[in-house]
Formats: sequence, structure tokens, C-alpha cells
Amino acid sequence: MISGRNGSRLRPRAQDQNDQTREGSSVHRRFRLGTLCLGLVLVGTTGCSSIKAPVPKDPDALAEYKAANDPYEPLNRKVFNLTMKFDKWALRPAAKAYVWAVPRPVRNSLGNMITTMNEPSVFFNDVGAGKPRRAGDSFVRWCINMTVGVGGLIDVAKMAGFPHHDNDAGLTMANWGISSGPYLFLPMGPSSFRDGIGYGIDQGLSPWDYVPRGYGLVSFNWAYNMMGVVHGRSEHLEDLDALQRDALDPYATIRSAYQQQRKAQAEAIKNDHRATVPDWYQ
Amino acid sequence: MKLLSGRRIVLATLALTCASGLFALPARAADNAKQFIQGFGTQLVAIVNSPVPLPEKKAKVLPLVQKNVDIDGIGRYCLGRYWKIATPEQRQHYLALFHEVLVNAITDKLGEYRGVSFTIGDVTKSGGEDSVNAILTRPQQPPASMQWIVGYDNGQPQVVDVIGEGASLRLTQRNDYSSFIARNGGSVDTLLVALQKQLDRHAQAAN
Repeated sequence: MISGRNGSRLRPRAQDQNDQTREGSSVHRRFRLGTLCLGLVLVGTTGCSSIKAPVPKDPDALAEYKAANDPYEPLNRKVFNLTMKFDKWALRPAAKAYVWAVPRPVRNSLGNMITTMNEPSVFFNDVGAGKPRRAGDSFVRWCINMTVGVGGLIDVAKMAGFPHHDNDAGLTMANWGISSGPYLFLPMGPSSFRDGIGYGIDQGLSPWDYVPRGYGLVSFNWAYNMMGVVHGRSEHLEDLDALQRDALDPYATIRSAYQQQRKAQAEAIKNDHRATVPDWYQ
Repeated sequence: MKLLSGRRIVLATLALTCASGLFALPARAADNAKQFIQGFGTQLVAIVNSPVPLPEKKAKVLPLVQKNVDIDGIGRYCLGRYWKIATPEQRQHYLALFHEVLVNAITDKLGEYRGVSFTIGDVTKSGGEDSVNAILTRPQQPPASMQWIVGYDNGQPQVVDVIGEGASLRLTQRNDYSSFIARNGGSVDTLLVALQKQLDRHAQAAN
């Protein structure tokens, strides 16, 4: 889960916003297996038990139920438990091994590359959200980092005054006034109906899908996707350990943090009224 | 007539004083909140960055946290709708446990924040509380922005919440607790047992 696109935002207890700008949402966007897993999980779980939570009668409980916006909680919890098992036995150990084997500066560079590779998707979403300044930033970031930044390994754009910002199709739709719809926990991480659809759109926005296929590119894509997932997880080892240790109901804690964070992100984009021309031009 | 106009002047002055007081209030409150966070933050940072061993830092931070953080208020908030149905004994027991949980959560972080500095930004008002923007800088890490929510329920400014990456700590905590209680038969006692277990585990890990 934590490997999921949205999982990268989950540090509810951690004050540290370490590296948020670096890896952002891009890390696992290409984790296409997620869609397949979702299908399997849906087939596996819908058959054997109910997927909808009963609506409570008590007014206070009802208010809480509505605030949680999670009518499919039983199904979501099943996916959550499966994901946590996968995380415990596969992803977390892999991420720990990665941290052990790869020195911090190299990991930072790989994180920069993953972020840069995702800039086109951020750019299209900035355009879609009608935020020319943000779109300009991500466009410039892509151009600078892919050239001077050696294929994205060095975040030169940040040094030049163009720090990374997150955006995805879920947030773009939020800016268009589309509500999130019920909460969903997908194998990629916490999500919602809107953000799940946005995830699909983001896959389509990535230019890497439109490059002619060849053995080299396929190998690169596999390596890149797998590394992206492991790298993303490695950025949150301590946060998620702390969350699992301290939260009495980690599922509910992640749900709450995710919903608040998405709302805040959408608000931040909406309230970004900076001028279109960069600071140095004014 | 003279008396009347005199009374009018007095009333007008009184009204004006009240009005100007009212207008000045938000500004003063915002300044208060800013000063309060500046003071509290400076003291915290001084302890965190001081070259003393961790247990000593924890001992120094404890009174500071107890004075400047509305732990009882946060505790009541976190219990949510179950505060109403909890018995006085349960409430008392819960608050005692919550104190320890919160203090642990804060002091556990002390070791990680060596070399920290912070700058205070704008203050915005929401309801009876002020939100103070702060940017935290740690060596070799990108700056982190957060909001400190300052409340005045106890007659003095106190921290009632911290918002990091858009998520309110107390709201997230409340959802954690209420979901746990709801899934365990709606009994506050199960929460108390779970919190006690959490504290025991923490004590074991510390030893």
C-alpha cells in the first residue's frame, strides 16, 4: 500500500516532510500490476462476503460514518490487510535492503530521476487544472532536468528556483469540483473513486507509454517501475513503522490522514494564484 | 440636556472603546499566538539542539510541554463522541493515559531533530483558534511547513493541534480512537486497555 502512488503522502504522525518534494506522487504511478491485483482482489472478496458496511442508526455514529465516507469499509479492510501482508513480507524487507545497499546520495538521485520522469504527467494536469504558472514550472523542470540534470538524476531545476510540486488527475478533477466519491483502499494505496479513476488517467498521460517499444525500453520500464516502488517505500520506513506501532487502528488512521491530505492538496492548488511570469522576469 | 449630552458623550466613548477593543482583539490575539509559538518554539529548539544526553532533554521538555500544550483539551477532542458516554472515572483514567501517550509521542521525536531551526510565518484565525504557519529546517533535508493551532480555552495561549501535510494530528488521532472503539463493541474500557498496553510496550522498548 505504502508503495502506492498515494501512500507516498502518508506520514500522518511524522512531522518530517522529508523528501516530499522529491518523490511525491510519481513514484509508483507506473505500477501497472496494481490494476490486475485490484481485479483479483475484487473477484476474490466480493464472492465470499459483503462489501458494504451497514449504515448505523445512532445519530452520532451516523455522523461519524458519513464523515469517514467509507461505505465499502469491509472490502477496503480486506484489501488493506492483504496489502499489509505483502508489505510486511516483501516490500518492506526489499526497501530495507535497498536502504542498506544504496548510499543516500545515490538514492536521492534515483528519487530525482523518478520525479523528473513524471513531470510530463504533472504538466498536463497543471494545464488541465488551469494553472499556467504551475504548468510552466513543471515544463521548465522537465526541460532543465532531462538535459542539464543528466536525465533527471540531478535536480538542477530546483536549484534554479523551480521546485517540484505534486499534481495528478485526481487533484485536477478535484479542482474541477468533482467530489472524491467513497474512499477506496487499492493495492497501490489509499484512494477514492475519483482518485482511482485519476490514477488510470495518469497512466495515459505518461509519455513513456507512447515511445516505440523495444527490448531496451521494456527492460528499462521494468527496472524503473520496480525501483520506483521500492524507492518510494524506502522513504517511509520509519513513518510507517511508527504508524503501525502507535495507531490502534492503522486502517482508520491512514484513511483519515489520506482524506485530509488530499483535501489540503486540492485546496493548495486551487489557491495558487501566482503570476504566470516567473519571479525573475517581474 | 447638558446632563443628557454628557451622558451621551460617556456612552459614545464607552461604545467607541468597546468597538476599538473589539477591532483590536483579533490583531492582538494573532500577535499573541505568534509570540507564543515563537517563545515556545525557541525554548524547544534550544533544548533539542543542546549537547546534553537524551534522557536529560526529555526531562527538560516535559514541563515545557505540560505548560504550553493543552493536553487535556486534545485528549477530550480525541475521544470524540465517546467522551459523552464515558463515566467520570473512565474520563480521568483516559486523560491520565493520554497524557503519557502524548508526552511519549513528543519526547520520542527529540533525538531526530538535532540541528533544527524554524521560522514563523503568517497567522490566520479560524473560529476561536489561531493557526500559526511555521517552517522547520533540518540539516540536509528540505524544509517542512506546518501549522500550529493555538487555542485559548484555559485563559492562556496553548497548542491544541499541529497540522503537517494538511493532516490535523488531533483529528487523525480521534478517527483512530473512535474507529478502534466502534470496532470493539463501543466500550471506552477497551480503549483504556489498549492505551495501557501501548504504554507498557513503550516502557519495555525504552528499557
